[in-house]
Parts: sequence; C-alpha cells; structure tokens
Amino acid sequence: MHCRRLTVLTLLLSVVMVQPAVFSARAQDQPVRGGTIVVAIVADPGHLNPAITTSGATHAASELIYNGLLGRDDQGDPVPELAENWQVEQGGALYRFRLRDGVKWHDGKPFTAGDVKFTFEEVLLKFHARTRASMGALLAGIDTPDDRTVIFRFKQPYAPLLYQLDATEAPIIARHLYQGSDPQTNPANSSPIGTGPFKFVSYTKGTEIRLARNSTYFKPGLPYPDALVMRVIPDLSVQVLALENGEADFLWELPGPLLSRITSDVRFRTVRTGYHPGGSNCIMTMSFNLERPILKEVRVRQAIAHALDRQAFLSQILFGDGKVAAAPISSEIPWAHAAGLALPRPDRAEAEKLLDGVGWKKEGEGPRAARGVPGIADGTRLSIDFLHFPAFAKYGELVRQQLGIVGIGVTLRPLEPAVFAPTVFKDRNFDSNVISYCNGPDPEIGVRRMYHSSQISPAPFTNAAAYRNPRVDALFDEASRTVERDKRSRLYRQIQEIVVQDLPYYWLVETVSTRAWPVRCAGFKAWTGLFAEGAFCRR
Amino acid sequence: MPPRYLLRRLAQVLPTVAGLLVLNFCIIHLAPGDPVIALGGEHGDAAYYAFLRSRFGLDRPLPEQLLTYVANVLRGDLGTSFVHGRSVARVIAERIPATLLLVFAALALSSVVGVGLGVLAASHRRRPTDTAVNAVTLLGYATPPFWLGQVALLLLAVGTGWFPVQGMTDARGQRAGLAHLLDVLHHLALPVLVLTLSELALTTRLVRTGLLEAFESDYVRAARAKGLPEASVVRHALRNVMLPVITVIGSRAGMFLSGAVLVEVVFAWPGLGRLLLSSLLSRDYPVLLGMFLGISVAVVLANLITDLAYARLDPRIRYQ
Repeated sequence: MHCRRLTVLTLLLSVVMVQPAVFSARAQDQPVRGGTIVVAIVADPGHLNPAITTSGATHAASELIYNGLLGRDDQGDPVPELAENWQVEQGGALYRFRLRDGVKWHDGKPFTAGDVKFTFEEVLLKFHARTRASMGALLAGIDTPDDRTVIFRFKQPYAPLLYQLDATEAPIIARHLYQGSDPQTNPANSSPIGTGPFKFVSYTKGTEIRLARNSTYFKPGLPYPDALVMRVIPDLSVQVLALENGEADFLWELPGPLLSRITSDVRFRTVRTGYHPGGSNCIMTMSFNLERPILKEVRVRQAIAHALDRQAFLSQILFGDGKVAAAPISSEIPWAHAAGLALPRPDRAEAEKLLDGVGWKKEGEGPRAARGVPGIADGTRLSIDFLHFPAFAKYGELVRQQLGIVGIGVTLRPLEPAVFAPTVFKDRNFDSNVISYCNGPDPEIGVRRMYHSSQISPAPFTNAAAYRNPRVDALFDEASRTVERDKRSRLYRQIQEIVVQDLPYYWLVETVSTRAWPVRCAGFKAWTGLFAEGAFCRR
Repeated sequence: MPPRYLLRRLAQVLPTVAGLLVLNFCIIHLAPGDPVIALGGEHGDAAYYAFLRSRFGLDRPLPEQLLTYVANVLRGDLGTSFVHGRSVARVIAERIPATLLLVFAALALSSVVGVGLGVLAASHRRRPTDTAVNAVTLLGYATPPFWLGQVALLLLAVGTGWFPVQGMTDARGQRAGLAHLLDVLHHLALPVLVLTLSELALTTRLVRTGLLEAFESDYVRAARAKGLPEASVVRHALRNVMLPVITVIGSRAGMFLSGAVLVEVVFAWPGLGRLLLSSLLSRDYPVLLGMFLGISVAVVLANLITDLAYARLDPRIRYQ
C-alpha cells in the first residue's frame, strides 16, 4: 500500500515536473504573429523576376513573392499551390490543371489561367534555361478553355512535368504587367507583383529587399510575420556572425569551417537539404575527357577511381556536410537513385595493378611512363591536367595528392566559371575536371545532359566526358516518355549500372546545404523556395 | 591661376579619358570568359546561349561592338547592365553614395590622425612614443584589410555587442531623420576604422620623415633661436611638409577604392567595391566598363585637383 502511494506520488511529481517542459515546447512551436524576419542572402539579385533566370541569387531573394502551379513537400513530391488539383491523361502527353478560385495578385487583380499560359509561352520557355531546355521542344501547346483550367499538351508522353512546376522551376508572373513588353527590362522586375505570401515593399540595391505580409494570401492564416527582409551579406562567415549577433534569423548555408560551431550551439537549429534555388541535388563529379588517348582506356579511369579516397573529400573539404556519392544519381531523388551499386573502392594496389596492366610502368620518381600502351609513344609520362573553379581548389589538391601516390601526375588549372565553361565544353581543352553537376528535381532535367550523346555540345555543363553509348541513349529516351514512376526507376537503375561500368565520370561527393536559424524561430521549410511561408520568430 | 593653364590641362584630360575608354573595352573583351554562361546559368541549351549572345550584341565583331559602345558613350549612354537589366548609369549611381561616405570618412580620418601621429612620432623621435606609433601604423598597413575586418567584427561587434556586424542600416528598424543618421554612423564606425588603420601608416611615415628633415633645416633652427614656442615651430614646419603628403593622399584616392572592395565585402557595405567584384564575376561588361570609365575620370581629375592645390599650399609654385 505504502509502495503504491509512493508510485502514485512519483507519477504525479513527474507529470508536474514534465508539464512545463511540454508546454514550453508546445509554446515554442505555437506560431506567433508579427515582427520582422531577417534572411541573409549571399548576393544582390540584380532583379526580382525568377521567371527569366535560373540564377540562385534572384530565386533565393524573390520566390516568396510568387507561387508555382504546384509546390513541393519535404520528399520533393508535388503538392497543390496555384492549382488545386490535376489530372494526367493520354499516358502522360496531356496534363489538365484546375486552378484555385479567388486568388489575387498583390495589386488586387484576379489571377487566371491566362497568366499561366502567358508566363509559359512568353517568358519561361524563352528565358528560363531549365524549363526551356527540358520541355521547350516537346510542348505542343497550352490551352485555357476557361479562367480556371490550364491544359499542357505534349508531342509525346512527358514524365517530369509535375516536378517542374514549383516557384523555382516555373514561377507564374502577371500577364497584365508583362504583356507587350520586354520581360528582361520590364520595370516590374524591380518592383514585383506576385501572388505569394509576401508583398514587395522596397529594393535597396546592394543592401536589402523589404517584403510585407500578404494579408490576402490564398492559404488562410499565412504568413505570420509582418515583414521579411532579405539582407545582402556576401561573406558566409559574416552571415554566421550576424546570426550569432541576432542581426539575421535565417541562413541559406553555413560555411564548412564554421559548421560545427553552429550545429553544436543549442541556440540554433540546423537542417541539411539538397535543395537550392540555383540547382538542387548536386554531386561533385570528376569528368574524364574520353577523346584524350590516355583516358579513353577504361582501366585507367578505373585506376583513378580506385586511387581516390572519397571519404577524404567529404571530411577534409566539406567538413562532413554531405555524403560520399553512392550512385551516379543523387540520393536526394530516392526513387531514381540506384542504391547498392558497386562503385570502385579505395584500393591503391588495385589501381597500380590496373595501370601496370595497361602498360603504364613505374620508372623511378615521378609519373609512370608508357611501355607498350596502345596509341601512345613509349616513354610518355602518365600526366593529366585537372580543371576546376577557383572555389574548388581543394578538390584539385586532393586529386593531385592521391593520384600522385599511384604514379599519375596531375597539373591543376584553376579557371573562373566564365572561362571554365568554354574551355571544357567548346574548346574541349582538358583531360579531367571537377564539376558540381546538379541533378535537379528530376533526372530528366539534370542527369540526362551528362550522359546522352546528343548532349555533347558547346552548351555549358552538358556531356563533359563526350560519353557515347547507344544503349544509355535509348534508356534515357524511354525514361523521358515513361510516366509510371516504378518503370522510370527501373530504367534509371539500368542506366546507372551501365555508366558505373563505363565510368565516363567519377562521382565524388553529394553536397548539401545546411540551413540555420535561432531556436526562437520555427516553421522554416528548408526544401522549398517558399521557405518562410509558415515561419515565425519570437523576440 | 591663369585660365589658359586650366584649359590646357582640361584639354589633356579628354584624350587621356578617350584612350582609357578604348583600352578598358579591349582589356575586358579580350580577357577570357563568357558572360552568357554567368547570365544563363548552367542548364541552358546551345540555342539559349546563342539567343542571349545575340540579344546583348555579343555575337557581333569586336570592332563593331567597340564603335557602338563609343558612339553610345558620346551620347551619354553607358548601356544596359546584363545582370540588372537597367541603365548602367543608374546601377552605378545607386552605389556611389555608400562608397563616397566610406572612402571619404576613412580618407579624412586617416589624413587627420595620420598627420597627428606623424607629428607625435617626429616630436618624440627615438622615444617609446615614436616606436609605438611606428609599430601600430605599420602593423595596420601590413595586415590585409579583410582579416583586420574579421578581427574587428569578432572583438568589437560579436564580442562586445558595441557595433553591428553588417550593413549600412539596421534591417529591423526603418528610421528617419537624426535617428537614421545615427544608425548609419553606428554601422559606418567599424568599416571606417579598418580602412583607416590600413591607410594610416603612409601618411604618418611621410609626415614624420618630412618633419624630421624640416627640424634640421635653417628656418626651423632660426625660429627656435628666436624663441618661438615649439607648437608654432611645428606648425611652421608642417606647412612645408604637407606638399608631398597632399600629393600622396590625392593619388591614394584610387587605391582607397580597391581597399574598399574588401572592406565592403566583409562588412556587407553596399558600395561600388562590391558592385565591381560581382560585375567582374558575372562578366557584366557594360557595368564594368562604366565603372572603369568613372574611376579613370576620377583619378585624372584627382590628379588635376592635386596639381591645382599645390599653388594654394606653396606660394613658390607658379603655373605657366
């Protein structure tokens, strides 16, 4: 009896003691209205029209002003936004969207199907690089039978459409502001009108973009703060100091060296994501120029892969903020990512054996020399160049160091992006390089361009390796026409199995961004451009 | 000053600026790099990049582009920014006030403090004060401004909370009138301190050396023999020392701008320096050309003004 009383008392005491913590946690998550949220952005966007550019700077600063037809949930799957529902017909060759009723632009004019048709036909398909490149040639037309219905007709089944309709890939802009004007110089680009959760207030060039709550937003009750300020702070370490000093409430990314300082600080919350408005789901990839005699030989490429310890790239360059790539397609697209593939493991002995087998022999110090390598004069040294953006210099240093151990000489050639792209894709003046290939929300957008032989072109960040495999081409073509996800998944798995064998590239590490905000704030959605739609901060 | 001299000097300015205009154009366009990649992003197709190239006239032969550019500049049109989609003159003009405020505040402070420290060091030659002034100013000069900026942020902003970390104003409060002015000055303090520390050594060293030389001259010896107070002697000597100091300060105006680039990046100060850096990275040719033209004209005019200021400072100088 005494024991039972004690138990009851203990339970009661526990409830009394735990309750404040529970209530406190609940109170912490209870949205608070009002106040100003300050978001740090790394660059001045130049303008605030995300429909005419894929620039990450513009998209990060402006997507909260707009909406797409659809949004993205935390798994990257489509959810209703301006369209409340949709139907896929004719095996994926026709998409019918029903728009929400009563949505208004920030200037009070009604949003209609005509805005969607105009945005796609006159703006996105002309100026938005990803939308234009992926669906431009396949779209047969857009019909608007009434003000609330939009129909996309394709020349053949087109699978990725539903993943290309968020504010990042296809923000909808107002026809009444842009019709009859040049979208790139329209004054509305600097004082935008959208349908999104925040209304434009002012844009002080180089300093900040000031937004205010859209009180007539079509999602009831949202957003919470009265104002949101995008503050331009170009240096990431200064952004961290601003967060610590209470001058910023949200950071898009943390710099590697300061990562642990913030993630281990109880005053802040952090979330890792592969999403970024400038390019999602990116893999740092080493490309081999298959037109060069040394790298044409698959055993040399395999030797390079065995010589590289990718874990070192993850820990020494990314400070653990990412993952070693497990397949050619990012794990952030789980349905297309081929888990369990046997990528070459770090194995110096295997690398040396492969090089010896080709005829690259160790002769004293320095790079190996050719002795009977087909197509290469005897005595030629095994030396390759490695192009990289200056920002990726550490990748170059590690590649040079690790390949040097097995007798492969590496000459580093740091080139700015504007020089790198024509050197690699137009002049094809390189042996190897490292590129951050962003897979995007669907492999059709960011993966096909790396492997399809039609993508060997001067256009930047296409098929750098000049890889040609008719079987891979056919599989990609089939995948783009296949709407059922299971079938597409199987096709992409086959593709990945083949390219892992052929090794035109070596997939080093998947990069992610770590978003950060103080614990007094909540409701940020790290995986979408409408990241602050449901956010709030306590003061 | 005879008007003929002024006219002749102004006439020399025009061909100099014209030469610089052509030189800037050639350097920018002949440097490797392709602006359409920075503009179009990574995911475009070949047709898209060709479209951008033709839209901005980059597909035309270089001499034709140069002629078009020169003709537009003569009409007062600096072109349209590739990135901002607006008039270059407007894009640049928006950034001038912030940079002028930063640079002139730092220039004024480093000149005044530099002269003061130079006098102090010269008056206490080979004494601990002299050594301390030399050590501090040389340390400031030798330390990269971006590092100095980071240290200042850690010690004086995050460490004490006395100063804000970034920007020109407080993002949360929109103030007006005196409150706005005080807010700007509060944000200005750290960037000016860093830029001043970086530039202090030159003025201090020049003043110190000049004064030590002057102290050995006959007119100073005569002044002291007459029993003039030491302060008057120093003032007298200082006027003669100021001529090379003014020359150096005038010629440092351009250098200040380059120092301001780094300070503007560290402190998120919305000035020309940051615009220059971002335009360079995005290969925004029209903005780069507009800025180079503006800087060239500013440096040429600064030299002219320095020459004209000589006569005011040294009555022995005559213009012919």
